[in-house]
Amino acid sequence: MTARLHVDVAVIGAGPGGLAAARAAAEGGARVVCLDLFAAAGGQYHMQPTQPESRFAQTPQVLSGRDAARAARSAGVEILTRTEVFWVAGTEDGGYCLSACQAGAEALSIRATTLVVASGAMERPLPFPGWTLPGVIGAGAAQRLLKTGTGALPVPGKAVLAGSGPFLMAVAQTFAKAGQPLAHFVEYRRPNPRATARLLARHLRKLAEAFGLLRDLRRSGAERHFGHIVTRALGKDRLEAVEIAPIDASGRPDPARVQRIEGVGTLAIGYGFQPVTDVTAALGADHGFDPALGGWHCIVDPATGASSRPGLYAAGEVSGIGGASPARLSGRIAGSHAAAAALGRAAPDAAIVAPLAAELAAARGFARGLAALYPPLPDLPLDLAPDEVLCRCEDVTLAEVRAAVADGARETFAVKMWTRAGMGPCQGRICGAAIAAELRRAGTRPEAAGFNRPHLPLRPTPLPVVRAALAAERGST
Amino acid sequence: MSALPRTAEVIVVGGGVVGLATALALAEAGLAPVVVEAKSFGGAVTGGSLAGIGAHMHGLPEYDLMRAACGLWRDLATDTGNPFEYRAQGQIGFILDPRDVASGETWVREERALGADCRMLTPAEASEVEPLLTGPIVAATFAPDTATVNPFLAARTLLRRACEKGARAFEHTPITALTVEDDRIRGVQTASGERIAAAHVVLAAGPWTANLAAMANVALPLVPRQAQCLASVRQPPDTLRRVISAVEDAGGVNSGYTQIQQAQSGQILFNTVTAPTATPPEAKDQIREVPPGFVVESIDMLLRLFPALAQIELLRSWVRFEAVSPDHRFLAGPLPVAGLWVCAGDNGSGYCRALMLGRYMAGRIGGGASLPDALIEQAGRLYDPARFGEVA
Ligand SMILES: Cc1cc2nc3c(=O)[nH]c(=O)nc-3n(C[C@H](O)[C@H](O)[C@H](O)COP(=O)(O)OP(=O)(O)OC[C@H]3O[C@@H](n4cnc5c(N)ncnc54)[C@H](O)[C@@H]3O)c2cc1C
Ligand SMILES: Cc1cc2nc3c(=O)[nH]c(=O)nc-3n(C[C@H](O)[C@H](O)[C@H](O)COP(=O)(O)OP(=O)(O)OC[C@H]3O[C@@H](n4cnc5c(N)ncnc54)[C@H](O)[C@@H]3O)c2cc1C
Repeated sequence: MTARLHVDVAVIGAGPGGLAAARAAAEGGARVVCLDLFAAAGGQYHMQPTQPESRFAQTPQVLSGRDAARAARSAGVEILTRTEVFWVAGTEDGGYCLSACQAGAEALSIRATTLVVASGAMERPLPFPGWTLPGVIGAGAAQRLLKTGTGALPVPGKAVLAGSGPFLMAVAQTFAKAGQPLAHFVEYRRPNPRATARLLARHLRKLAEAFGLLRDLRRSGAERHFGHIVTRALGKDRLEAVEIAPIDASGRPDPARVQRIEGVGTLAIGYGFQPVTDVTAALGADHGFDPALGGWHCIVDPATGASSRPGLYAAGEVSGIGGASPARLSGRIAGSHAAAAALGRAAPDAAIVAPLAAELAAARGFARGLAALYPPLPDLPLDLAPDEVLCRCEDVTLAEVRAAVADGARETFAVKMWTRAGMGPCQGRICGAAIAAELRRAGTRPEAAGFNRPHLPLRPTPLPVVRAALAAERGST
Repeated sequence: MSALPRTAEVIVVGGGVVGLATALALAEAGLAPVVVEAKSFGGAVTGGSLAGIGAHMHGLPEYDLMRAACGLWRDLATDTGNPFEYRAQGQIGFILDPRDVASGETWVREERALGADCRMLTPAEASEVEPLLTGPIVAATFAPDTATVNPFLAARTLLRRACEKGARAFEHTPITALTVEDDRIRGVQTASGERIAAAHVVLAAGPWTANLAAMANVALPLVPRQAQCLASVRQPPDTLRRVISAVEDAGGVNSGYTQIQQAQSGQILFNTVTAPTATPPEAKDQIREVPPGFVVESIDMLLRLFPALAQIELLRSWVRFEAVSPDHRFLAGPLPVAGLWVCAGDNGSGYCRALMLGRYMAGRIGGGASLPDALIEQAGRLYDPARFGEVA
């Protein structure tokens, strides 16, 4: 049996952006459902612990997430967790039909007049020598391990946190709060105190947060290596050692000054985030490419959250990486407009929405400033061996990708056809940045290389669930 | 990428498997063609193909040509060291309705009379040949020599080999005009305004071929038809061993079809269509999604035949556009403008025919002996673009 729902506004994602959108839409009088694949609402920022005795159970980030979910519910939002949206299609009456898989096994079909996509961000993995060794994980994954579950890293040995960007400091803070020793902190960029001070002077509200991050980085006890990069992860069957090197003036690691760290159990590595655009891209909304916004993102009108497609709104990281506060603000804006549009009302009261838009512009300004302090790495920072795997789902090596490019592949899609890179379960989400970097090396700009357009299903889904949901959409069973 | 040449002996418009096979045959004949592809090589229907290579149930009039076509793929695999996953998997034609047994038997009898190695199977024999095929079939046909190729890698092999033999190929180079003077083709013009002069132009642009021919005031009876497929996440090797297809009395795509096979990558590819999807002409220029009804039918058929696959996961789906002619055969040969040629109208099984058609076209254009005479005569009869009357 397929459960069916009819709503005015459907919201995909229950992170800061989605919860704010859902609540604003409900307060605007709409019937709202908010869907998230995680077990608890909150998204990345408000990641909820799974163990009651977790050290994180009472942190402000967790508590404010609980509050945001509670506020949305009391405004009338139905929040469905463990609900993965695997397909969205436009309907003939101009609305949307969502197909979801609940708890991995049940089909759910939802009709909505308007749709807000707040699908958030994911880590942007960049391959480096040894990146597929067990023990090498994403910085975000390390954070999740510490915040949820038992609150400790699963393997003994030193922990090394490496990559670039402000998020790295947030993860170091998580290590400190979890009481998990962190041996080394390796940041690609050198500190730029003057530019940082200038940015914070313009956004004084961020000052306490910034000091907290610095304090906790020190408290973590990690040896700090600014202007360094992990050049290699080594080990026989799993990670044992890590090599780091300072960055020279050209932005490349200096091979003469490689330093080896032995006895490493976990290397958490993070080069920033990229928007999760599968839903908005599948619906054919316009997307743009901007490295400062994490690369490909859904283009929206900041005053309304509207995408290029009627009835489709986007909020939070999917419309460009910016963090939790732009997510919340853009969520409120998109939610109010989505509700008004669904109910056939005039645009929401400008007196309410205009100040939000001003706040959003300021919050986005801060995010832009941060992105300028930590410019994302456009290319692969390291030379890889030809046999290094780029696409982990289909085991496609760098040499295979280069051969395809040499044979005339000039876009992401062509590389995919000729190598299978991006044809596996992740559908190019993980290897996309690396393939784009390779194409760039060969002279194709990322804007021209494009991205893998998603098709049914957005995520691998059991056949019976696909069948049940689509049969419901078709009106039969 | 090097700059577009100013002149060429022959220009092939379209870099799908048909255009690439034509370019290869022309290059082998010493005609140094230039191939221009609007987007990425093999990215249109070619890259969405199941690329089954077989003569079984494709009709008797074309049987010899199909056999030759299959042989050319086998030879290419041998000559190149098989970089495109050519595999003679064999094909099972399943029969669910007792009324269809007679047509299965007719196919087998007639193809055997022409020298084929096919035979009928009982349900028990069928599940020996394909262990997970435990659905309620009443009988099956079996053609052991049907093969499959990897559609991307096969196209890439043709492209590379054509270039090794003197062809030049340009992607992201759409042709927007044909230059005709005194009823003779003089060349083509690209979207960026560049011109290439040539004595011969071959239109091998799949469902876009009619639009191109119209640029030379030639009306071709080719229409696009939507086709689509589903793929599961990887399954262990040998989950499915054969190409599985439906046996239907009338045959042909319009009466409904099923094709199921496991790719070398492990993914299970499957589609079932009971009625063709309505395809407005402009659809081929849009990004389309599989219709929900197609998904339901395809899953139902897969699980009816292979109940053991009930819990596998769907990974992706795609939609492509085939070119269809009134009699469901290719249009391959000269058009009323001197020097202008067509090779299109695949009707859903052009992968198999591509190498054979490429040879035929190269022979017609260059005058060399590219196929045995009897086959050239047969192809001339079956594929003549003028067979529907005046096309200009
Ligand atoms: C791994 C990771 C860790 C992060 N940690 C921090 C941190 O510690 N501090 C910080 O300030 N920022 C952190 N961020 C940044 C974070 O993106 C923002 O702070 C904020 O959470 C963005 O809000 P959002 O609503 O846009 O997206 P998110 O919070 O990411 O919420 C998006 C939600 O959408 C859901 N979703 C997406 N697609 C579907 C689908 N098809 N079906 C159902 N549900 C779906 C996801 O499960 C997710 O819960 C992190 C980001 C990532 C990727
Ligand atoms: C799901 C599915 C399963 C199939 N299974 C089989 C099978 O098992 N066996 C089999 O034999 N066949 C099969 N086919 C059919 C087979 O794939 C096609 O017959 C074959 O690929 C046709 O190739 P083509 O080169 O004619 O067309 P296309 O691949 O469409 O190539 C035409 C090319 O022309 C280009 N073009 C268009 N306009 C212009 C322009 N103005 N300038 C320059 N270039 C232009 C296009 O971009 C395109 O790349 C299947 C098809 C599908 C969709």
